[in-house]
Amino acid sequence: MLRIALPTGRVALQAEGFLTKAGYAPSEPLSQTRKLTVRSQCGRVEYLLVKPVDAPLYIEQGVADCGVVGKDVLMEAGADLLEPLDLGFSRCRMVVAGRPELERRMDNLLSPVRVASKFPRVAQHHFAKKGVPCTVFKLSGSVEIGAVLGLSHYIVDIVETGTTLRENGLVVLEEIADCSARLAVNRAAWYARLEEVRALVEQLSTAVGD
Amino acid sequence: MPTRPSLSFPAGTELVFGPQASRRQYISDRLSDVTRGWGFSEIILPAFDAAETFGDADETELYHLTDREGHRLTLRADFTRIAAKALALELRREPQQLRASYEGRVYRFAPSGHGNRVEHTQRGLEWLNAQGVTYDAATLLMARECMQSVGIEGAVTVVGHAGFVNAALGPMGAGERRLHEALDHKNPTRIAELCSRIGIDSARTRLLAELPLLTGGRDVFARARALGLPPEAETALGVLESIDGLLAQAGAGAPLYDLGEVRRFDYYSGFMFKVYHPLVGEALGGGGRYDRLFDRFGMDVPAVGFGFNLARLAEATDHNPYAGNGEHIAAADAGALQRAVAARAAGRQIRLGDA
Repeated sequence: MLRIALPTGRVALQAEGFLTKAGYAPSEPLSQTRKLTVRSQCGRVEYLLVKPVDAPLYIEQGVADCGVVGKDVLMEAGADLLEPLDLGFSRCRMVVAGRPELERRMDNLLSPVRVASKFPRVAQHHFAKKGVPCTVFKLSGSVEIGAVLGLSHYIVDIVETGTTLRENGLVVLEEIADCSARLAVNRAAWYARLEEVRALVEQLSTAVGD
Repeated sequence: MPTRPSLSFPAGTELVFGPQASRRQYISDRLSDVTRGWGFSEIILPAFDAAETFGDADETELYHLTDREGHRLTLRADFTRIAAKALALELRREPQQLRASYEGRVYRFAPSGHGNRVEHTQRGLEWLNAQGVTYDAATLLMARECMQSVGIEGAVTVVGHAGFVNAALGPMGAGERRLHEALDHKNPTRIAELCSRIGIDSARTRLLAELPLLTGGRDVFARARALGLPPEAETALGVLESIDGLLAQAGAGAPLYDLGEVRRFDYYSGFMFKVYHPLVGEALGGGGRYDRLFDRFGMDVPAVGFGFNLARLAEATDHNPYAGNGEHIAAADAGALQRAVAARAAGRQIRLGDA
C-alpha cells in the first residue's frame, strides 16, 4: 500500500478533492477526522496527516512514499525529492518585498542587508546567489511587520493577492519563484513501487487537468 | 571542578553495536565472499588524500582538513576516485586487467536536522581495463548476487546510461545546471519552462520533458525511440539493449530502466545503476561504467564498478545468522579455560564470562 503524506489544513482539503476525483477518496472526510492515518476507500493508499513543514522529511526518509507539498515548503526544506507533478492549486509567489522607496539595485554591498522571513533558507540562498551579503531573521508569522517596524530592510515571503503587503505599505521588489502544490515522491519509492506511483501520477494528472 | 565529557557523537556519524553490528558483519562477509568468488582481491586505501583527488566532486559534501605542514586534505568522499589513483600506479608499471574490492568509510557532509548520515560504510569493487558490455552485464550480475547472498528480497535494480541524457540535452542544454536539476527531480513542468527560456527546439523539449516518464521495463526502449532520438542517444540505447540481452541469456531477470537518470557530480560515462528496496528510503548502492576517469592520469582505462552502503543493506533484511551467543562457560569454574580451549578447537562458539 502506498503511503501518502498530506499536510493538514487548507492544502489537505484541496488535495482531498483531486484525490477523490482521481479515485483515491479517503475512507472518511479529512476535515472531520482526528486520526493521523486514514486509508483510501479503494484500499490502495494510506494517508498520513502531518504538519506541512514536516511533509518533506517524512517523504525523504521513506516513511511516506510520496506526498502533496507546497513548492514554498519544498524550497525551504531543501529535501532531495522527485517532483513529477504540479497540482496547480495553492498558487502563490515567493517574493522579496519591502518599503517602496527601497530599490534592490541600491543595496549596499559592503554591509549586510537585513531580511526577515519564515523561509530563512530560501532567503539566504536567494541573496547569496546575487552576491548580496545578508543577515536573515527567522520569524514565525506576521513577517510584514519586520519590514514595517524596521527589524529588516526586506522580507522574503509568499504572496497570493498582495493585499497584506499593500495594507502594510509594502511592495513586491523581486520575484523568486512561482509556487503551487506539488506531488513529491521519494526516490526509492519511484522505482520500488513504480506501478503504484505511476498510476497515482497518471490519475492525479488527469484529475487536475480536467 | 572538571566537567564530565559529553557522551554524544557528532550528528550523522555511524555508531553500531550489538545485533545490528553482527548483522553488518554478516553482510560484509557475504559480500566479500561474492567479490572473492569473482576473482577480486582486496585493496586497502587511505582514509584521506590531497584535496585535488576530489576536485570534481560536489564541494558542498566534502570534509577538508589541513595537516601540520599546511597540506590541504580531503576525507575520502568516495572510493572510486581514490582507488583509480592508487591503481593507476599499478597500471603504469604493467598494463593489465585489475580486479580490486574494498570496504571502508566514506564521508559526505549533509545538513543536520534531517536525520542524514555523513559517515557511510561501503563495500564495493573496481574492475579496470574491462571493455565491453559483457563487463557491464557481469557487474549487474555480481550486484544481484550480493543481494541474494545476504537474503535481501524485493530489491529493484534501476539501469540508466550517462550518454543518453547528455545526448538528449544536446549542446545547448548540456551546460545548463538548472536543467540538470529539473531532470534529476523528474519535474516535467520545470524542464519545459527551462527549455523554452534557453531556446531549445520543440522536438528536443518534447524528448526532455518525457524523460521523467521513461522509467520501466524493456518497453521504455520503444517508447524512447517513438520520440525521435539523436544518434548518440540511439548508441546509448543500443548498449542498454545489449546488456538486457546478456542478462536474459545469463538467466537473470530484467532490471528496470530509467532513461532519465542523471548524476551531476559523477564520473559515469556509460551504463549506470542503482539498487533500491521498498523498505529503505535511499539507494542501497550503485555503480556503472567510467571510461574517462583515468584521463587525468594520461591513461585510457575502461572501467566498471559498484559500491553498496552496508547500513542500508542492513535495513533491507532481518536475516542474521551471526546473532547466536554460543555456549556459556562460567569464568569462576575450575577448568573453565580448558573447556574454552577444547570448545574452540572443536570450532564451537563460546561465551566465557560471569554467570
